[in-house]
Amino acid sequence: MFNFLEEIKENIRTPLELDSFNLINVAGHLLYVEGHLGLVTLSKELVSFKVKGGVIIVEGQNMILAELSENTLKICGIIKKVEQV
Amino acid sequence: MKMRNRTKFHIQSLNQEKLLSKLCKLVPLEEIERKNKLESSFECSYFDSKRVEKFLKNNNVKILDVKHFGLAFQCKRVLSAYGLLLAVVVFLVFYLVQNQFVLQYQVNGTEKLDKFEVVEFVKDNFSSRKSDIATDEVEVKLMEKFDEISFVSCIIKGQTLVLNIKEKLLPDEMYSTFSPIVAQKDGKITKIDLISGTANVEVGDIVQKGDILVSPYMIDTSGNVKHVETRAEILAQVFNEGSCDHYESFIQVERTGKKVEESEVTLFGLSIYKFKQDVNFSLYEVEYENIDLTNNLFLPFKLKKTIYYELEEKVVESKFEDVQDEYIAKAREKALENCENCDTIIEEFYTLRHLSGITIVNYCIVTQEQIGGTYDS
Repeated sequence: MFNFLEEIKENIRTPLELDSFNLINVAGHLLYVEGHLGLVTLSKELVSFKVKGGVIIVEGQNMILAELSENTLKICGIIKKVEQV
Repeated sequence: MKMRNRTKFHIQSLNQEKLLSKLCKLVPLEEIERKNKLESSFECSYFDSKRVEKFLKNNNVKILDVKHFGLAFQCKRVLSAYGLLLAVVVFLVFYLVQNQFVLQYQVNGTEKLDKFEVVEFVKDNFSSRKSDIATDEVEVKLMEKFDEISFVSCIIKGQTLVLNIKEKLLPDEMYSTFSPIVAQKDGKITKIDLISGTANVEVGDIVQKGDILVSPYMIDTSGNVKHVETRAEILAQVFNEGSCDHYESFIQVERTGKKVEESEVTLFGLSIYKFKQDVNFSLYEVEYENIDLTNNLFLPFKLKKTIYYELEEKVVESKFEDVQDEYIAKAREKALENCENCDTIIEEFYTLRHLSGITIVNYCIVTQEQIGGTYDS
């Protein structure tokens, strides 16, 4: 089966650490994250979570955590900004 | 109604992010929504709800509300709410259905009639539904079928059909096999006390074991033969004999006291150790001995001993006059063994026969015994 993320990683020539986490923003309404290390903030306007090497901050409106498991999460709502600090 | 089996928790606690991060390692969470700074709600699988509840209680989280959705929850709710009522209804239905039938048959008062035969007749001819069984009809049919029945009553008690039977008093001849009286021993007839039947012997006749003494029939004045049960007391003189032989010289084999032993240790029939010696005896006898060396079945070691005893032959000579009384007593004992059922000993005597080197002692006990039949006064 075709794996989009694996395909992209294989095509990058520069050696980089690419196995820490994956983050997919779907049309600004759904953010899917693999490899999170725990929630930091949770509100309707701001969701932040730890990843390897930092924290991801997601800003938006009416956001809810549609799914939360040991290493994946799915945020639904209007996503305005995704930032790694 | 939501068909997915979900449980929605509404909780109140501090540092909910840390709590949810820990909880999501235990069970996957869905629809996490922050209501305000202290409250939030989330969903999990209905089947994980107990684990989640336990986790929240262990972490001192206040659960404001718990809602369950889905088919599994609805089924469980119905079962727990109406389970007892359902069981009562099912029991009543089952009881009412099975109560319509006779499940057991009880026959009382039969001695000559076979109970099984009566029950089979009722089963074959009448329905097992209680409403279809007319007890009067059962009584009439049983009276018609079985001649031995004098009176019968039939009732249905619970689920048991009870048949109380009174049998007719029929003469013994109806059930007799008309067997003759035969002599149980050889002897001379001394007394015949005939009750019924036809005597084939007379007083003074000598009969052998197995001879017919009384036949099971009677001939009336018209010459008709009528079968009857034989009843008579027949006494006879019986000659009970016992003999003993004396030899003036005979060879007696005795053990000398010397012996040779062989040993063999076995496990599951296989030889483990063997010790064997040469047997140089010209005449010997052998004894075997098996000994369990262990008392368990795991390793059942066994010791098999073979013992050879040396024998020697001795010529023993004795005069009959010296041991005469002893041999006569032996012969008498043997004769008495045949007098188990004797009533009266009439006479005892013995005879001696001298042959070349052998003396035969014959002892005879004459008794009076009942050799056939029974007598009921």
